[in-house]
Amino acid sequence: MTKRARVLYHLARADFLERVRRYSFLLTLAFAAGLAYLIYTETISLQLDEYRGVYNSAWVGSLLTLVGTTYISLAGFYMVKNTIQRDQQTRVGLVLATTPMSKSLYTVGKALSNFAVLSAMVSVLAAAAVMLELVRAEAGGLEPGKLLAPFVWVGLPAMAMTAAVAVLFETLPVLRGGAGNVIYFFAWTTYVGVSGLTGVNDYIGLGFFMRQMGDTLKRIDPSYRGGFAFGHPNAQAAKTFLWNGVDWTPQVLLGRLQWVAIAIGIAWLSAVFFHRFDPAREGSRRKRLKNVAPEPAQERGAPAAPITEIHLTPLVRTAHGGQFARLVAAELRLMLKGQRWWWYLVAAGLFVASLVVRDVQARQALAAFAWLWPVLIWSQMGAREARHDTQKLVFSCAHALGRQLPAVWAAGVAVAISTGGGLEIHLLIAGDWPGFFGWLAGALFIPTFALALGVWSGSSRLFEALFTLWWYVGPMNHAPGLDFTGAARTLFSTPLYLLATVALLTAAYIGRRGKLGYA
Amino acid sequence: MTFEVSELQLTIDKAGKVYHSRRGKVWALRNFSLEVRPGVLGLLGPNGAGKTTLMNIIATITRATEGAVTWNGADLQRDPDAVRAVLGYLPQDFGVYPNLNAVEFLEYFAAVKGLDAASARRRIDELLQLVNLTDVRKRPLGGFSGGMRQRIGIAQALLNDPQLLIVDEPTAGLDPEERVRFRNLLSDLSGDRIVILSTHIVSDVEATATEIALISGGTLVAHAPPEDLLRAAEGRVWEWVVPSAELSAAKQLYLISGTVRRADGVHVRLLAESAPAGAVPVAATLEDAYLHCLSTHRAHLAEARA
Repeated sequence: MTKRARVLYHLARADFLERVRRYSFLLTLAFAAGLAYLIYTETISLQLDEYRGVYNSAWVGSLLTLVGTTYISLAGFYMVKNTIQRDQQTRVGLVLATTPMSKSLYTVGKALSNFAVLSAMVSVLAAAAVMLELVRAEAGGLEPGKLLAPFVWVGLPAMAMTAAVAVLFETLPVLRGGAGNVIYFFAWTTYVGVSGLTGVNDYIGLGFFMRQMGDTLKRIDPSYRGGFAFGHPNAQAAKTFLWNGVDWTPQVLLGRLQWVAIAIGIAWLSAVFFHRFDPAREGSRRKRLKNVAPEPAQERGAPAAPITEIHLTPLVRTAHGGQFARLVAAELRLMLKGQRWWWYLVAAGLFVASLVVRDVQARQALAAFAWLWPVLIWSQMGAREARHDTQKLVFSCAHALGRQLPAVWAAGVAVAISTGGGLEIHLLIAGDWPGFFGWLAGALFIPTFALALGVWSGSSRLFEALFTLWWYVGPMNHAPGLDFTGAARTLFSTPLYLLATVALLTAAYIGRRGKLGYA
Repeated sequence: MTFEVSELQLTIDKAGKVYHSRRGKVWALRNFSLEVRPGVLGLLGPNGAGKTTLMNIIATITRATEGAVTWNGADLQRDPDAVRAVLGYLPQDFGVYPNLNAVEFLEYFAAVKGLDAASARRRIDELLQLVNLTDVRKRPLGGFSGGMRQRIGIAQALLNDPQLLIVDEPTAGLDPEERVRFRNLLSDLSGDRIVILSTHIVSDVEATATEIALISGGTLVAHAPPEDLLRAAEGRVWEWVVPSAELSAAKQLYLISGTVRRADGVHVRLLAESAPAGAVPVAATLEDAYLHCLSTHRAHLAEARA
């Protein structure tokens, strides 16, 4: 092994091991298993007009690959977009920066580690595909080659691209933070939309499978109109067709491998923007100006005065009863601190628009966006102490479990009520009580979901990934039961969300209790 | 006749803490008993001795695997809030919220600690003066230097006027002027409260501690006032002038606590039961006492194993 290859291997290996030994990695795999379950229950399916494929190895492999590449390329991006940040937080980066390792080796190594994590998720789906084929086989026996080829030739290149793009986003100052997460989401939805419309050989594989499957179906049924519905089906497919898989010709393989080459190029290019942990380049320009290194005279403050001149007034100890509201206000301020003026402007715009717009569908869409906008605020809930290493300070305070945790939750609910308030007021004025209670259940559910995931994973990533995905499938695509805005109006959705809120709140309490060491 | 015990008392009774690793159990603290009364208790011990584990147990960050810790008679296993309400804790490693300024950060912790708004405001002003951060009170903590962060940590620990103050390496990152200032503060504070100070800087302990607990391998080696530890080392500390070439050989033979190169050779400060030829006795320092105590303990352990 050459010296560079050895460095690359150990860089990726150490980063990968650091990730897989965290509890949150199990949740990552659980997410992949959850996707497989949604396919098994046909909550997510693939239909070409009124057709679906016969459940054979080729169809099952392609279906699960497509689900994996589509959803993992979205949610997985958020899950892995913290590899450079982790080196920064653990201060390992400062040590790495002093080694002879080149910037390009570092960024490619980090992309490799991201790729390994995402591939582990794809592997879970591949294992699930084997089980699904054994359970639901409708034609022929298990054909491992046909079942696994889509994972290898479509799944892995898609993960390589996602891994590399995540590194690129982390190295670019503008895309490193919350703005980058929002930009990725809209770039991703646009890309998926364009791929679905044009059928190009996109890295996710949506257009690729659409063209391959469409050509086969057209030969079977010339009246096929080109429909390709992926996600939650409106109705069960009336007909089936036999899909024997992609003919993996050298040309097709080269088409897929080009994405691996592009991914390597992106990871390599990221080195150009990588700050190499130089404190002067780490933050955005605004932050750098704000946090400019202090002048020596300023740093020390005034000349040291003798201690005897300073008087500390003894505190009169008071009961904690009336202080909860202050703590909620303090948590709320902590949540909102650092938000720019344009964040409030957009939030206010969504509030007003969802109040005044008359068209029902447009109003629902605006209300859904109003609850996507604070995702980065909610995602800090329960994870802030771990992220900023303040656990020992906070958890050694009295009633950290009984006061501070509920205060965080209450502040999160206040954000949900404020940002989504436009629809709330509209529903109240209209006297739409089922709609109002559905909305209220959503306002309670979202911050509780964030708090539980934050407490258990110790990171904001899991909520950002799952919530964005949930938002895309539920409020945006109206999958039954997954629309938490209350727009679905199904009989059981409101009580179910309230029940889930109670369960998640209990989970957050238990998780925090475990972290406190003492009850 | 009845009388009220008003003096604060922290009791650690046969406490033990085990960590589970892939290689099995690791006892970070074992059969550890200590009684602490108002004053500054200096915790000394080599790296990995169990000092931070002990402080984490007392600060209710982690739970002892065995034994009991009581605060004024209240068992912390059952009632951790008994101590949390009166605790100030400055961990060795801690973070800050980078977008908050010094005042906002302290206001947040005042709310978490349950202080009322008026008391908190006054207290924060006083504390910022105390830690010399008044001039930068409105600057985001993200731009603070290491020493300034340490000082905001000290202010945070003192927010609730704690009866039990635990500080782990508090002077790390402070410049000499601020270090002296903090030492004086600790001495001033210790009159009517318990201060537990863990540090590797023996001069900090020398300047402030009224009692010293020496820990090694998770067990208590000694618990005594500094004077007692110094007395134990008295008559065993020597200064010896050796040629540079013989320094290595001297290191093999004696426990050396310091060396200074001078024109007449290397002035070696060493610990030994009897003086090498030509060595003169010198007064023991706390560092000498620490090394003596630790080497005696290790010798006893080696004897016991043999």
